[in-house]
Amino acid sequence: MTISRRSFVLLSLCASGQHLLGQQPGIASRDIVAQAKPAPSGRPFDAHFTDVAKEAGLHAPVIYGGVESKKYILEANGCGCAFIDYDNDGWMDIFLLSGTRLESDPAEATNRLYKNNRDGTFTDVTKQAGLKAAGWANGVCIGDYNNDGFDDIFCTYFGQNRLYRNNGNSTFTDVTKEVGLWETGPARWGAGCAFVDYNRDGHLDLFVSNYIRFSFEHAPVPGEKSTCNWKGIPVNCGPRGLPAGRHSLYRNNGHGTFTDVTKQAGIDVATESYGMTVVAADFDEDGWPDIFVACDSTPSLLFMNNHDGTFREEGVTRGVALSDDGMEQAGMGVGIGDYNLDGHLDLFKTHFIGDTSGFYRNDGKANFDEVTRAAKIGVETRFTSWGAGMVDLDNDGYPDVLFVTGSVYPEVEKKMPQYPYKTPRVLFRNLGNGTFEELESQGGEGITAVHSSRGCAFGDFDNDGDVDVLIVNMNEPPSLLRNDLKGTQNWLKIKLEGVKSNRSAIGARVIAHYGNKVQAQALVSQSSYYSCNDPRLHFGLGTVNEADIEVHWPSGLHERYQQIHANQLITIREGKGLVANKGWKR
Amino acid sequence: MTMFHLFGLRALVWIALSLSLLLSAAAQLGEDRAAQIAAALREQQFDKALGMLRVALQQSPASTDLWTMQGVAYAAVNHKKEGLHSFRRALKLAPDNVAALQGAAQIEYDEGDAAGIPDLEHLLMLRPNDLTSHGMLAVLEYQQGNCAAAVVHFDRAADLFESRLPALHAYGICLAKVRQFDNAAAVFKKSLALNPDDRRERQVLASVQLIAHHPEQAIATLDPVLHERLDASTLELASAAYEDAHDTDKAVEALRQAILLRPENVGLYVDFAALSATHQSFEVGINVVNDGLALQPKAAPLYFARGVLYVQLAEYEKAQADFDKAYDLDPSQSLSVAAQGLAAVQQNDLAHALAGVEAKLVRMPGDPILLYLRADILAQQGPAAGSAEFRTAMSSAKDSVRLRPTLSPARAVLAKLYLQNGQFAEAAEQCRKALEIDPKDQSAVYHLILALRKSDRQGEIPELLKHLAALRQQATNVEREQYRYKLVEGDPEPH
Repeated sequence: MTISRRSFVLLSLCASGQHLLGQQPGIASRDIVAQAKPAPSGRPFDAHFTDVAKEAGLHAPVIYGGVESKKYILEANGCGCAFIDYDNDGWMDIFLLSGTRLESDPAEATNRLYKNNRDGTFTDVTKQAGLKAAGWANGVCIGDYNNDGFDDIFCTYFGQNRLYRNNGNSTFTDVTKEVGLWETGPARWGAGCAFVDYNRDGHLDLFVSNYIRFSFEHAPVPGEKSTCNWKGIPVNCGPRGLPAGRHSLYRNNGHGTFTDVTKQAGIDVATESYGMTVVAADFDEDGWPDIFVACDSTPSLLFMNNHDGTFREEGVTRGVALSDDGMEQAGMGVGIGDYNLDGHLDLFKTHFIGDTSGFYRNDGKANFDEVTRAAKIGVETRFTSWGAGMVDLDNDGYPDVLFVTGSVYPEVEKKMPQYPYKTPRVLFRNLGNGTFEELESQGGEGITAVHSSRGCAFGDFDNDGDVDVLIVNMNEPPSLLRNDLKGTQNWLKIKLEGVKSNRSAIGARVIAHYGNKVQAQALVSQSSYYSCNDPRLHFGLGTVNEADIEVHWPSGLHERYQQIHANQLITIREGKGLVANKGWKR
Repeated sequence: MTMFHLFGLRALVWIALSLSLLLSAAAQLGEDRAAQIAAALREQQFDKALGMLRVALQQSPASTDLWTMQGVAYAAVNHKKEGLHSFRRALKLAPDNVAALQGAAQIEYDEGDAAGIPDLEHLLMLRPNDLTSHGMLAVLEYQQGNCAAAVVHFDRAADLFESRLPALHAYGICLAKVRQFDNAAAVFKKSLALNPDDRRERQVLASVQLIAHHPEQAIATLDPVLHERLDASTLELASAAYEDAHDTDKAVEALRQAILLRPENVGLYVDFAALSATHQSFEVGINVVNDGLALQPKAAPLYFARGVLYVQLAEYEKAQADFDKAYDLDPSQSLSVAAQGLAAVQQNDLAHALAGVEAKLVRMPGDPILLYLRADILAQQGPAAGSAEFRTAMSSAKDSVRLRPTLSPARAVLAKLYLQNGQFAEAAEQCRKALEIDPKDQSAVYHLILALRKSDRQGEIPELLKHLAALRQQATNVEREQYRYKLVEGDPEPH
């Protein structure tokens, strides 16, 4: 009875073709085989994306770490962006986060607020709004934490997270200290964040994921450890090999302050996860918001709400923590939507190069089945993927999937050109039968253009009834993909105003019935990658010209609205019904 | 291996037998006659004893003891068939007759006949602490391949084996077979202590220590023979131990020495290829395999190993050529076919991969690896439950598992398909069986968790979650170690 490594060779061959190459150091990737692409459907795709950032006045680059190389992972992960109507004029303004550089803060390194001029252009109002700030910003979530009718901004940072209160006069005030969110200990790496009314008291609480415990003094440098190499090339280290961050939950006390309730809420059980994007929604449809955290190279987390101010973490058992073969993945961005029109909120999660994204079908009780391959999403493994959305881009009534990509290792492509730093956007059109078709040039040059992108936000910046995309590009100006949708497909947009619920109505679940279809959407304050979408829920309706709407408000109120005509924005005030829109038309 | 060889206790048994029979028969036949028969047996005058017994049995055909003594006498003159017949007659009259049971069991045991098992079990029912019966039963069960049963009796009779090499070896083998590796190592240590010059037994002990994840102990075991009269198999084993102990330098050196000693040994090059692959040093592995191919140009395993390394480098055409060559050289080797299929899978050409596997299945329809591959490729395409592709994947996975129950990847695919099909109990069963084969199989643990959750049998889940977390941590550590070391070509630096 002798043991030989020969057996290991045979085992590796038998184990599965997917395991032939093993995992990469630093970041979890399965290096699996992409699914074969099915034959093209031949169906036309009416959406067409054009990058209009330059014409729109979005000239300033998003500064984020080194351009040619990145010494630390801090420089690599980038940041998010948001659509926000900060002045309540009915037009989506733009908020872009920014990083900085190791050596010093360049002049351009600041978060930026752009006011929508309602003519396809924007004006940089950062300074007058009081939002100029340099640092390593990561995530943004938008919500009206003080229920004054104006959306506020929360930003996560390596260092000090910041809450900006909207003063209602087009200016903001940094209220981090006065609301009790100022951290006094060592610098933390705030990552994802979400406003969520977890105790349903009508006030938005705040969940913050943390990535790693990082310090310049102790961080290893490229090549120093096994986790600091990729394809044999020294690169920035981590997250593996670095200590994990701890996530935090802050309860809104209802009078303008927050209290850290991490421990009593049971959030502190998650001690070994590199947290990234946060999405809070009612996945099991029990009326209480749950919290999903995409995690890098560790199991993602799903905190289920116990209805008593506490949570239980059940990501693994509910099928959203690991790959379908039980392996860790580099969870980055998250899309949420109802791809199969069964009225339940499904999840989409982006991963590292060499892995497919993950597609998780919800049975309505928060039991998820991974359907990546069944949905034919597994055809794409070429790119490190970040911000994502499950949104109906062509208004045919079926939510599509779009995500942005970009490497974290700019130094690699010099030696291995097959691994470029800048890569294209990825667009999957929903074929309406539970499967998707990857489109490239059919989506327009906005899709095929290469950038090293991170966060992206989905919204209708020009109020023309389709979904546009705002994208953060590392050390480049952002992209603003205008959707030049052809055809006559119908749509409906829904703006919610909470009364008993939080004013932003974050946590509401809306179900649209159109034709013989039913589609669920959730109003969330963060998804994609560290980003916040247009809060007006957009439903493509296809050829149907009216829809019935159900609203499950965070307060528990359930309302129905019948025969709402297509091709309009409606505003629903909780308990009051349809009210006049603010702005909208020029 | 016989009882005699193992225990050397047969004479003692017989003396005890004769004395007990004498007392019993005397009561039936009268003192003189009984004493005469007993004396004849004691003096080993078996023909004389048989003559007296024939007469006595005509007078007392229902005497259990006379039949038993006849059995003893026949057995002594090596008329085992007649002896066994006599014992059986005795047992028909008195099923609990210990002497007859012992006699019958002894003959059956000497013949290696499994029929002795029920006799010994019967004996143990009557005398539960009889070490000899436990020992005999252990050996018979071992001979029948029933290690799970054998281990129980080996344990009970352990004191009998302390100085008996073959028995200790059998005991150790059985413990290893039932995956009690630490206990097996302890037993093999005893057997090696009895004969420290037995190189083979030393290798066996080191192998078991390696399997038990004690590579440092394996190195210590091999150490005495690593400095003199080196042989390739010891070096090969030492290489594996060094690698497991994270001493890749020494692992490489040991394997290089083994190759120098036995350059014709194909397996050593394959080992080197595996070691290279583990450390992402694919080119080095290819060069060493090329050296082997220069000496053994018709060695199918070397083409196979090189093909695997080419796959890692994404040189699929070269890999395919090597797999084709391996198949040409040894068409009976289904792994070559499997590798061809996997190379196609790796190239993202599932249709080609499937076509290749299907073509080979026409010639080898009962090949479990090919069946597994077909199931895996089909499953990777994400077929809808109930579709024709899904059904084919399911039946192929089932056939693969039936034909080779130890092929855990096939069980993994089957479990996945069962999960998809809502057959949660069946999925759980496959996961459990996969975990019997490899308790560190993360996928099996994960799928078991999902199957249990979906079938509302959640009691086990908390422990499984802990186990899964531990496995993930171990896997991360192993991965880190693999990337720590990269093989480079060139002469080792002088020490």
